[in-house]
Amino acid sequence: MSKAEKLDQPKSGHSSDEFPTPYLGRSVKLVGGHVNVDMNQSPHPKNQRGELGKPLFNWYRNTVSKDPLTRVSAPNHFADRRHFLTNIINRSSDGKINPTKMAVEDPAAMARHIKAVALYMGADVVGIAKAHPSFLYAAGGGRYVQDGTAKDDFQSNTPEELARRFPFIIQATTAWDYNKLQAHRHQIGDAAYHVSQMKGVMVLKALEGYIKELGYTAIRGVVTPQAAGVAGGIGELGRNGLVINKNFGARIHMPDPILTDLPLVADEPVDIGVEDFCKICRKCANTCPTNSIPFGDKVVFNGIEKYKINWLTCYKLRPYVHEHWGSCLTCAAVCPFTKPNVWWHIMTVALLHGCPYFARPALVRFLKWIDDKFWGVVRNNRVTWLGYDSGVKPGEHACTVAGCNASHEKNSASAVSGNTGYYAPLKENTNRFVKRDA
Amino acid sequence: MRLPWSSKDSHRNDPYWDFFINTPPADLANTVTEMIRKAPEGNVFPAKTELHTPEITSSHVKGMAAYFGAELVGVVKLKQDVAESFPYAVICAVHADYDPRTSPGIGGQVPVQNGLFIAFVLSAWIREMGFRASTAADSNANKLAVAARLGTLDARGRLVTEKFGANVHIANIIRTDLPLAPDGQE
Repeated sequence: MSKAEKLDQPKSGHSSDEFPTPYLGRSVKLVGGHVNVDMNQSPHPKNQRGELGKPLFNWYRNTVSKDPLTRVSAPNHFADRRHFLTNIINRSSDGKINPTKMAVEDPAAMARHIKAVALYMGADVVGIAKAHPSFLYAAGGGRYVQDGTAKDDFQSNTPEELARRFPFIIQATTAWDYNKLQAHRHQIGDAAYHVSQMKGVMVLKALEGYIKELGYTAIRGVVTPQAAGVAGGIGELGRNGLVINKNFGARIHMPDPILTDLPLVADEPVDIGVEDFCKICRKCANTCPTNSIPFGDKVVFNGIEKYKINWLTCYKLRPYVHEHWGSCLTCAAVCPFTKPNVWWHIMTVALLHGCPYFARPALVRFLKWIDDKFWGVVRNNRVTWLGYDSGVKPGEHACTVAGCNASHEKNSASAVSGNTGYYAPLKENTNRFVKRDA
Repeated sequence: MRLPWSSKDSHRNDPYWDFFINTPPADLANTVTEMIRKAPEGNVFPAKTELHTPEITSSHVKGMAAYFGAELVGVVKLKQDVAESFPYAVICAVHADYDPRTSPGIGGQVPVQNGLFIAFVLSAWIREMGFRASTAADSNANKLAVAARLGTLDARGRLVTEKFGANVHIANIIRTDLPLAPDGQE
């Protein structure tokens, strides 16, 4: 098919004069024939119905973590559901919309206000996207809030009707702690991921309540989070399937966004050079323990041109490593964009942003060389935090208290030394797990 | 990025900020504070986690509270009361730009929300370690915070701290039987 013929094709299932195909930046593109995602076919609901096999079902539903912090902060593996704050917040009955509507004369001022409110409540990044039917879950599939429920009066509306009536999507999110993330595939990394996730759920619920107090509708569980993040200018979609932000890199959550009729002004997609970087870098694909990240080019999947990760192989590893960790995070930790939010990182991203397209590959090669040289090709730094120490090999017992030389009856291993962290499973042990696609 | 000389009221050009801070919510069910307050207490995990000395356990509890967002943490040894017999109390405090006692808006209650988050997760974590922990609002909070060496009382009997002055909110007190090394005595 020639280029001209391609351009003549109908753009998308939702492309019309009313909803022109949205521009999503350079990293991801709607090319036509998109069918709305049925949330019942997404990974967690599939697993909850037992469609992914017994090990995964039991991992999700019938295991209790041996780590007390995981039992209060992870979305499963608890001994008592009442200890998981997200359950409390997402299952709470919804409040009523304030009958006294706040008059919004200047939507731009309201957009600034909503962002200031989200940041004041504890969010790290906020973006506002213009709603488009293709960003919403398919009609009739219900609402999807992980570890919770959402009900509203608009359940039977089609994506087009919803996007017409509720023209804005607010995505507010939290970032994971950089130092703890270095202990990915470890309970320390889990702590970074899960605690900030709980905080993010609380911030979004508070923001949802505040919008209702302003007298407007706020709907949850209806928008695809990644679409909202990219369209709202939070970041660009990377090879690892994560939204990469200019300040935090890949270490941000993409929680369930808010769809609203509050008058706002939408943000534009950003260009921070993720597109150019991902073409060359491939660090995430190289280090992924299950080879779930592609080495090849972008593909068109469901009418969207993007890098397509293999979510099933990514997901399938979990029951086998349950003893050691809950959330892998390898691709997020190794991503060169994932750095502390400090001046040299901000300057480097600004440099990449300001660089003309033709010169970017050379700049990216140089930056990747620096990243490999100083941060390492793989992340295996030892991290210690409170009673945790990633220098202890998986399966071994050792005292994890710094400077402790007491004799412990059970934990007879010698003291931990060196600066290497051990993160199960090692890459060579999982190469058989799934064949590389390229 | 926040510059050191930027004042707390960087929202004076925001026409809706006063509503956010000062207008009480029409429906309390819209507030996260109410959701957490109404949450029931969970069970104590049947197996106790192995602990080190009370000093190390204390440092872990304080480190965990700081990670959950507490800006000041202290431990107090309680006078033994017969009914509950919790020997220790953990006191966490967060800064409050606006006094939550006089700012009933959702924004004015953000320090309370953060305090409830810390108290909920920290007490749940202690229960998951196999020890009892109970959290509740306490009229005695200011005195306990002083006993935990977080600051002193002003003329009205409110906590004043070195770091935040009077702009501080004390989260719900966590009473526990986890063996801790107290910073002070009730």
